Amino acid sequence: MDSDDLLIRPSAPEPIYRQIMEQLRRLIVSHQVAPGEPLPSVRDVAARHAINPMTVSRAYGLLEAEGLLERQRGKGMIVANSRRRAPTEQRLMMRLDPSLADVAREARELGLAPRLVLERLKYHLESASHAAPSAEAVG
Amino acid sequence: MLRPAPKPSADSPLCCVDLSKSFEGEPVLRRVSLTLERGCILGLVGRSGAGKTTLIRTLLGLLAPDAGSAFVLGDPALALTDVARRHLAYVPQTPDALGWMRVGDMLEFVGSFYPAWDAEYVADSLLRSGIAPGKRLVSLSLGERQRVALIRALATRPELLVLDEPASALDPVARRELLRELATLASESGTTVLFSSHIVSDLERVASHVAVLHGHRVMLHAPVDEIKESHGLLQLDAVAAARLPSKLDGELSRRRRRDGGVSVLLLREAHIDWSSLEQRLGGQLQVLGLEDLFVQLTS
Repeated sequence: MDSDDLLIRPSAPEPIYRQIMEQLRRLIVSHQVAPGEPLPSVRDVAARHAINPMTVSRAYGLLEAEGLLERQRGKGMIVANSRRRAPTEQRLMMRLDPSLADVAREARELGLAPRLVLERLKYHLESASHAAPSAEAVG
Repeated sequence: MLRPAPKPSADSPLCCVDLSKSFEGEPVLRRVSLTLERGCILGLVGRSGAGKTTLIRTLLGLLAPDAGSAFVLGDPALALTDVARRHLAYVPQTPDALGWMRVGDMLEFVGSFYPAWDAEYVADSLLRSGIAPGKRLVSLSLGERQRVALIRALATRPELLVLDEPASALDPVARRELLRELATLASESGTTVLFSSHIVSDLERVASHVAVLHGHRVMLHAPVDEIKESHGLLQLDAVAAARLPSKLDGELSRRRRRDGGVSVLLLREAHIDWSSLEQRLGGQLQVLGLEDLFVQLTS
């Protein structure tokens, strides 16, 4: 992967380090980034997105503490070679929960019937499966 | 939870204690204390006229305060030694010094005073900005002059860099470039940066800390991430608002909306459980971006 695979929204309420963590977690648990694959350097991510390098190292450091990333001497960070079993669907769903909660809240605020929202979600799920895998990787 | 602002320390590259300043009897700063940690990028926000420029000029000793004191790289701001001067770079809001000179000549002249002057960086940056060294400074656009002033400041490889509204006249591409430079500078050479802006999105990218200047004082100074994580806006409709206690734990401000509802700005204290608060009071808690928070705090 490279720095462009990350989507940074500085003005979102969520701090930037959390945005990075959340996206990397999703990419890793869904195996879109393979174990052993190197991550872009802190410097590269910071320069690409014009953000503070400390923010990027903080995200990397926290994911390292979680065991998702491994620091390789002289080579920077790689995705940890996890000996754990493949992630369960339930754990994968947990990653989606924050986004779904957002959608639910907005739908409620707009006064939309749940049935319509579910139909629309189904439409997006189906059209996403036809899209290029790289397009999903960013989301 | 927010840490209290750090106390002035000998190690801080820039700090002030109890600065007060009035102009013709109008107070601008009232007992302002601020301490920058080494290597931080502090974004100073405030509405136009809040006193950002006055605070910066007083911090650097360019203006004498009515009371209080400021320290730059360990020296009293009003008595800077040559060593401190050499390690400090300051870009005023409207750079107009040496306007009659040609860009290249001015940079060469200024560079001769600085042992750490990076001539290669200057040449590179001029090329990238498309500014011809043979042009006279007065003939440049405001954005170009700001750009030249920034190149001049960065070429000294300063220990402390102070920028007053550095991005105000820059186009979006040049602005992004500047932010990128600030971020790498701070991390690679440990430069401490103070920059003021009313463009909050600029701060959100690169600042490690934010200070809000409002009502003649610094009302908030904390790491950006902590600020985002520790504030929330509780929105209540008219019915719930009628039952609202007169003051909530952690309440910072309260505003009645036109629809009869009330919005309460809250600071998350460790002991407050926000979801139970939502249930108990019948409202909805909204997490705020920095810009919304800034508006809530200062309007």
